[in-house]
Amino acid sequence: MPERGLLELRGLEKRFGGVTAVTNLNMSVREGDIHALIGPNGSGKTTTLNVISGIYRADGGSIAFQGTELSGMRPHAITASGVARTFQNIRLFAQLSALENVMIGRHPRTKTGFFGALVPGGATAREERDTRERAHELLAFVGLPDIAHAQARSLPYGDQRRVEIARALATEPRLLLLDEPAAGMNARETTDLIGLLRRIRDRGITLLLIEHDMNLVMTVSDRITVLNFGTHIAEGVPADVSRNPDVIAAYLGGAADVA
Amino acid sequence: MPFDPVANVQLLINGLAIGSIYALVALGFVLIYNAVGVVNFAQGDFVMLPSYVAISFLVPQVAVFGTMMHWQLPVIVAYAVVLVLMVGFGLLFNLIAYHPLRDRGWMPVVISTIGVSIFLRNFAQLTWGSQPLGFPSLFSAETIDFSGLHVRPQDILIIAVTAVLIAFQYFLFERTSLGKQMRATAQDRTTARLLGIRVSRIVAITFVYSVLLGTISGFLVSPIFSVTKEMGGLIALKAFAASIVGGFGSIPGAIIGGLAIGVVETFGGFYVSAAYTDAIAFVILIAVLLFRPQGLFGERVAEKA
Amino acid sequence: MKSRSFLLALLIIALASLVPVVFRGNDYVLNLFVVAGVYAIVVMGLGILLGFAGQLSLAQAAFFGIGAYTSAFLTTRVSWNFWEALPVAVLASALVALAVGYPSLRQLSGHYLALATIGFGIIAQLVLINWKAFSNGSDGITGIPAPAIGSYTFDSYGAYFYIVLAFVVLTAYITARLKATRVGRAMHAIRENEMAANAMGIDATKYKILAFVLAGAYAGLAGSLLAHSIKFISPDSYSFDQSVVFLVMLILGGSSSIGGAILGAVILTFLPEVLRPLKNSYIMVYGAAVIAMIIFMPQGLAGLFGVLKRRFARA
Repeated sequence: MPERGLLELRGLEKRFGGVTAVTNLNMSVREGDIHALIGPNGSGKTTTLNVISGIYRADGGSIAFQGTELSGMRPHAITASGVARTFQNIRLFAQLSALENVMIGRHPRTKTGFFGALVPGGATAREERDTRERAHELLAFVGLPDIAHAQARSLPYGDQRRVEIARALATEPRLLLLDEPAAGMNARETTDLIGLLRRIRDRGITLLLIEHDMNLVMTVSDRITVLNFGTHIAEGVPADVSRNPDVIAAYLGGAADVA
Repeated sequence: MPFDPVANVQLLINGLAIGSIYALVALGFVLIYNAVGVVNFAQGDFVMLPSYVAISFLVPQVAVFGTMMHWQLPVIVAYAVVLVLMVGFGLLFNLIAYHPLRDRGWMPVVISTIGVSIFLRNFAQLTWGSQPLGFPSLFSAETIDFSGLHVRPQDILIIAVTAVLIAFQYFLFERTSLGKQMRATAQDRTTARLLGIRVSRIVAITFVYSVLLGTISGFLVSPIFSVTKEMGGLIALKAFAASIVGGFGSIPGAIIGGLAIGVVETFGGFYVSAAYTDAIAFVILIAVLLFRPQGLFGERVAEKA
Repeated sequence: MKSRSFLLALLIIALASLVPVVFRGNDYVLNLFVVAGVYAIVVMGLGILLGFAGQLSLAQAAFFGIGAYTSAFLTTRVSWNFWEALPVAVLASALVALAVGYPSLRQLSGHYLALATIGFGIIAQLVLINWKAFSNGSDGITGIPAPAIGSYTFDSYGAYFYIVLAFVVLTAYITARLKATRVGRAMHAIRENEMAANAMGIDATKYKILAFVLAGAYAGLAGSLLAHSIKFISPDSYSFDQSVVFLVMLILGGSSSIGGAILGAVILTFLPEVLRPLKNSYIMVYGAAVIAMIIFMPQGLAGLFGVLKRRFARA
């Protein structure tokens, strides 16, 4: 039955030249859920995320977030509205420290501008202090309290992913989009990640994640949307989705293990 | 102003001639860009340097490092010697200015090529002095007259040689193994390497080829203008503009862009304003960048998220 | 600002204040200091655009010229005084930078942007050469007056140096404050990864335009300052080659360091003079040095100091 979710995609279309990446896509993400977006390679998952976050402009359909239409908005405005994201190929600010990376995430929730910067004291100093404290707090929240001053590109891969998550959290999102957060992680790191995702959800943030690791998906998701050839072929709770014959057919022969 | 067909044909020939020079320099520049993703700010100096060296061998008396040299060689020999020397220069350029920086992104390489340009200009001043030098023409006559037209033979030579070079380029790229390797390397270096192409060698060859295009441009254009250490500067910048107008990375685009800018600039200089002639190329450039950045034949490549 | 850097800065300012005293009567050296200070301001501006926001512009000389000519025009044709002309010169440069930057930075970056700025710079110089009503063409503008306060005129290089020093300190302060706060961080984010910066709520286009306007304003301020010092300007000085010189100064000093920008400007102003006896060899070395620098010392002198500092900290 059609519900008004936190994020509603209706009839989403995205084409690149002659190639249709996403077509007639419907998806409903409920508030407070951990919602997974899965599908074989090339099914349009990352494209969908990129359209939601404004990197690509949709060619048709609508993206409603809390009732607001996101399509046509520029990425920074979408983030300011409360939708944050991480990237499949980690996009940290490589030469800056982990702390600076997370502090930059505070940008949409702070306001010191050019003229404010010129005055060393008062509101500017308070906001600086606040930004710094929040950033430390978030690094601790993702389990990395001690690497604040390390240069981002010198950090191990798993830590970089977590810093990217902390940075996204700094923007105070209501919806967090994660593009393959577990990529390249071993079993122990994946378990830690599951714990982190749940703690994020417990803070009241809805999660939409793209993942290939089916163990992770089945363990942590409240609902799953399955894509194939750019459109949705199933949406529901993990148990139902894993038994769906269309889903099994889509993955048949593929490397994914739908347990 | 009444339409004067004779004047317009002469302007057209002038325009195509200078446009051919822009096209050749743009071609050299695009080849390097396609191969290694780098904007070469020294491209114009690839025109200037061989011109000076050629003068040293062509003119009976030339001051080199302050002392007079008497090295006059027959024209063909002089041209051949300079070409050979410039091959060596191209290899040196690749080795020193590009190779150490190949993994560092575009900006360090741009700055390095700027350094090369500064070095070459100062080297030229040191070696041959600050006075403009004349480059001997192959023709004794200043103009040829027929059908009421006064045509500069050098212009005809420029257009003819450029046409030959373009045909050669086409043949090289479409019909020879080397050319196909160069195209493959320009398209996707990793895959080219996996296919067994020796990429660093192809890159070196591309640099040398580009330098030789500049050398021939120098031989063609220097008899018309005198040779100074600054001559490469404006030519290079207009050639850049040409390659953008034609579509960054497109070879036919570089050629057509060069010809177009040469013609528009020549007509514009005559009919609109002689003082702002040099601005015309850049006004076109800025307009293209703002309204159709992919130029005539280029493709925009979007960043992958 | 950390207290150690602050003390260092105070020390440097104190030492700089002694320059006119130490070199009293030596107009040649004092003039060099004035030029070095003026160039430091231009290079700091370029540092905001390139070092902070990561955008390469080769048009700083054009804004340098716009500031110089605006100030010269107002004080020679319309009899304004220096203090009235200076802010207008800064504003004029900033407005032109906005007019150029707004359409360009919305859609261009990297090579395309660099080439567009080169094109603009060349057009700007041609305008200065040909718009005789404003610039007096190739003859230039002479008789640019020195600043005065009350009955005292800053006629000597020594006195003028203090004005320049004051502005160097002011612009360094502004730049440092930017670097230490939200706006500077946003610019650094854009330089590191523009897509991620946008994803973190930073309107990259807005901040790139801001950086471009600031760079233009700094250059315009510097242009005005130099015009009133040397009292004669001509379009030849505001060329693409000059923009390249500013870039090399920034690279030498270290592109995202304020001290580096100033150091680069000072060194490359004095070096040609110091090496004048060896003039020919120096010229040869300059270009080679740029290549060597970018290969071996890409973070410039500031980067070198940083490395040395870390080595000492560990020892």
